Amino acid sequence: MTQTFPVTEASAPVTSPTPHPPRGPRRRRFGPAVAIPATVVTVLAVAAIAPALLAPGDPLAMEPANAFAAPSLQHWFGTDESGRDVFTRVIHGSRDSLSIGLLATVIGVGLGLLLGAMAGWGSRAVDFGVNRVLEVLFAFPNLLLALLVITILGPGVVTTTLAVGLSTAPGYARMIRSQVRAVKQSGYVEASIVQGRSRWFIIRRHVLPNVAAPLFILATLGVGQAIVWASSLSFLGLGATPPAPEWGAMLSAGRGYMSIAWWITLFPGLFIVLSATATTVLGHSLQQKLKEMS
Amino acid sequence: MENRQPAYPGTTVPGLRTPSAITPSGPRRRLPRPGAPAAAGLLTAAALALTACGGPATGTADPAGEPRRGGTLTYATGDVEPACLDPIVSGNVPQALVSTQYLEPLFHQDEDGEIGPWLAESWKWSSDRLALDITVRDDVSFTDGQQLNAETIQKNVEYIKDPKTLSSTGILAVEKVESVELVDEFTARLHLSEPDNALLEHFAQVWVPIQSQKALARGMEQNCLAPVGTGPFTVHSWTKQREIVLVRNEDYHTPAPTAGHSGPAYLDRIVWRFLPDHANRFSALQAGEVDVIDVIQPQDAIAADADPALDTLIGSRPGHVVNLTFNTRREPFADLRVREALIRSVDVDAALKSIFLGTVDRSDSVLSSITKYNHQQPEVFATDVEKANRLLDEAGWTGRDAAGYRTKNGRRLSATVLQTESVLVPVSVLEQFQASAKAVGFELLISQEETSTFNERRYAWDYDLAPMYYTKNSPAVLNLTHHRDNIPSVIEGGYHANNNGLQGPEAERIDQLLDTGSVTADEQERHDSYVGAQDVLHSQYLNLPIFDQQTRLGFRSDVEGLQLISPLGMPTFYDTWLDRS
Repeated sequence: MTQTFPVTEASAPVTSPTPHPPRGPRRRRFGPAVAIPATVVTVLAVAAIAPALLAPGDPLAMEPANAFAAPSLQHWFGTDESGRDVFTRVIHGSRDSLSIGLLATVIGVGLGLLLGAMAGWGSRAVDFGVNRVLEVLFAFPNLLLALLVITILGPGVVTTTLAVGLSTAPGYARMIRSQVRAVKQSGYVEASIVQGRSRWFIIRRHVLPNVAAPLFILATLGVGQAIVWASSLSFLGLGATPPAPEWGAMLSAGRGYMSIAWWITLFPGLFIVLSATATTVLGHSLQQKLKEMS
Repeated sequence: MENRQPAYPGTTVPGLRTPSAITPSGPRRRLPRPGAPAAAGLLTAAALALTACGGPATGTADPAGEPRRGGTLTYATGDVEPACLDPIVSGNVPQALVSTQYLEPLFHQDEDGEIGPWLAESWKWSSDRLALDITVRDDVSFTDGQQLNAETIQKNVEYIKDPKTLSSTGILAVEKVESVELVDEFTARLHLSEPDNALLEHFAQVWVPIQSQKALARGMEQNCLAPVGTGPFTVHSWTKQREIVLVRNEDYHTPAPTAGHSGPAYLDRIVWRFLPDHANRFSALQAGEVDVIDVIQPQDAIAADADPALDTLIGSRPGHVVNLTFNTRREPFADLRVREALIRSVDVDAALKSIFLGTVDRSDSVLSSITKYNHQQPEVFATDVEKANRLLDEAGWTGRDAAGYRTKNGRRLSATVLQTESVLVPVSVLEQFQASAKAVGFELLISQEETSTFNERRYAWDYDLAPMYYTKNSPAVLNLTHHRDNIPSVIEGGYHANNNGLQGPEAERIDQLLDTGSVTADEQERHDSYVGAQDVLHSQYLNLPIFDQQTRLGFRSDVEGLQLISPLGMPTFYDTWLDRS
């Protein structure tokens, strides 16, 4: 759609995208589609930051004599093959699982921003070069790319984070590139250029605000995906090292006991689903909101 | 069907504990063991470490009715796919499992460790015990038409000893055989460099089978694809990464002395599939997609025993037990006190009770409970945290760092356990050990590796502790795993059978005992030497014994006549038939 806005720097109305997110009239409050996932994410964040608040026990404390205990008042989620409390482990596991997801997204976004901005703002040659690199990276399924990185760097939490981050970067880069391009060609940017504004000013004032909102939403969606990938890698034994509680690793360890102790796998699995769904729904809701606002 | 007899009647050495896993317990066998074992076996297999011989082992299931001829049995193994179907090349458990169906050895060794004839009719030692005359049956032909004769033995030994064959298990077994002389058409004379008490045992294991000389002449590559033996089945085809198809040998007439019938096998075909994932394999069995699986996990064995459509057959394998092996060639385990401290700090019983659901018996000897002369010493390996702390204090690890670990000269007391997917010892067990070691200020790191990396690091002595085992139907397995002769790699590829690397006066003492056990003509002296060797090995804390290696089968209840054959406890399908229409 076309939108006019107060122009001080240019004499003519310009078309979208907007120079910065509109501050329209306040819409209705967030509905359950935002409230529920937001609550879940908040609880998970608390679990990740201060797990002892929710589960004061030691996630590594073993009690082999009490292995495979079913869920009870004492052990809400039961115990695992070494008698460790599954609830405590799942809660403490939020830190590894969520921080891998979050940090990986930050790495992906950061790298995507860099590559996307280079391609979008740079010369034709730079754009061409970056695009070819992105195409090559796109040719690999993300998880495969992550496996490749781990093969080269070796397993571990840090490399898993890095691997997932690197493998998501191309997606962000492409989105950012197209946003930057659109903004670059807009009239108000041309106007700014004409006014002799510095490149930095234009990026800060016009480009970033336009890119920020969709990027934030995409990243929110990406966190969920990154959590799932990180868990997958840990499931394969490439992420967290034993005895660290990590959802994917717990899932993998408990899988063999599914027939006699379903709780060892169910709860970490549930938390992966819950966290991935919550962040994804939240992302979609925000996306919706943004659309409505614009 | 009901009332199957246990895989093994019992142990053969009086006074030893009978592992419950192999004790018959009524209609249903008890089973058990961890999830990782099979894989573990494989692992080693991959490493080539396994040989076998020894102990006991045959079990027969007692079929429900008249055996019915025909049908295809599908076997899903949790062990890795062999790289070669001829168990002479390398020589590991996955190869032994499948080749038991189509290859046979010269001798049969029963559960009491007694040697009897099989393809060989008789044998005779010279008075100096440096020559052994073996006379083979004169009525046996291989499935390619080649007749079995004295030359067969000669060609087989030459083939094993040829470095190009890349044998590891077989070549160590015939190490003392210098040459083979043809005495007459059916008698060969083996000349030895020194007496070898384990020689007949070596020739009773499927890693030293007798193959058609015509087939061997095709060269290793061809022979790997389709070895030719005298067994009840022949290799029909091998689709790599999918399956091996075995078909019945219609002319079969050399059943083992323990077999339940004579003449050809009942089954038309065996399809040998590879399903490494434990959960998938068990699901396939439950769904009836496969008839028999191995490496059944303890929890699945319990489920199978509760399911009328399924059954289990579990038996110990002979040899060096599944254990954690200390590398004494570097710190911190160069120090005996530190080795003992670690062993004293961990609680093996608790791990077996929880992770293996109490279904596997602990081993307190480096030799399997079904291996001759095994010497169980529970007191030596008992948990004693106080002693562990005292020993570490004595060893000078008296400082403490911020994380609570002991230090000496500013260095943390830390050791790395190698671990691999195809695990001998599940990582959950190591996690428990890690927790108990931490309680005495000992940091245990677990390094999970791919099998190939695991082996590379093992060959390069790059570990502090690693899970190992060695299948062999003889106490002479200790000559391989603990004699200093086997510290250097004696075959190509860097593989070494001794993974402790102990030197010094104690190692010398161990060597003497093992040498005596190997050459003495006196049975009592042989017994005393191997028991004595175990005394020294145990008191040197070179290994933390955990449990016997096992063959763990789960199968559909309409699979009748399944047996584990002595001495290695490998499954045999010769008497097996399908009770279905």
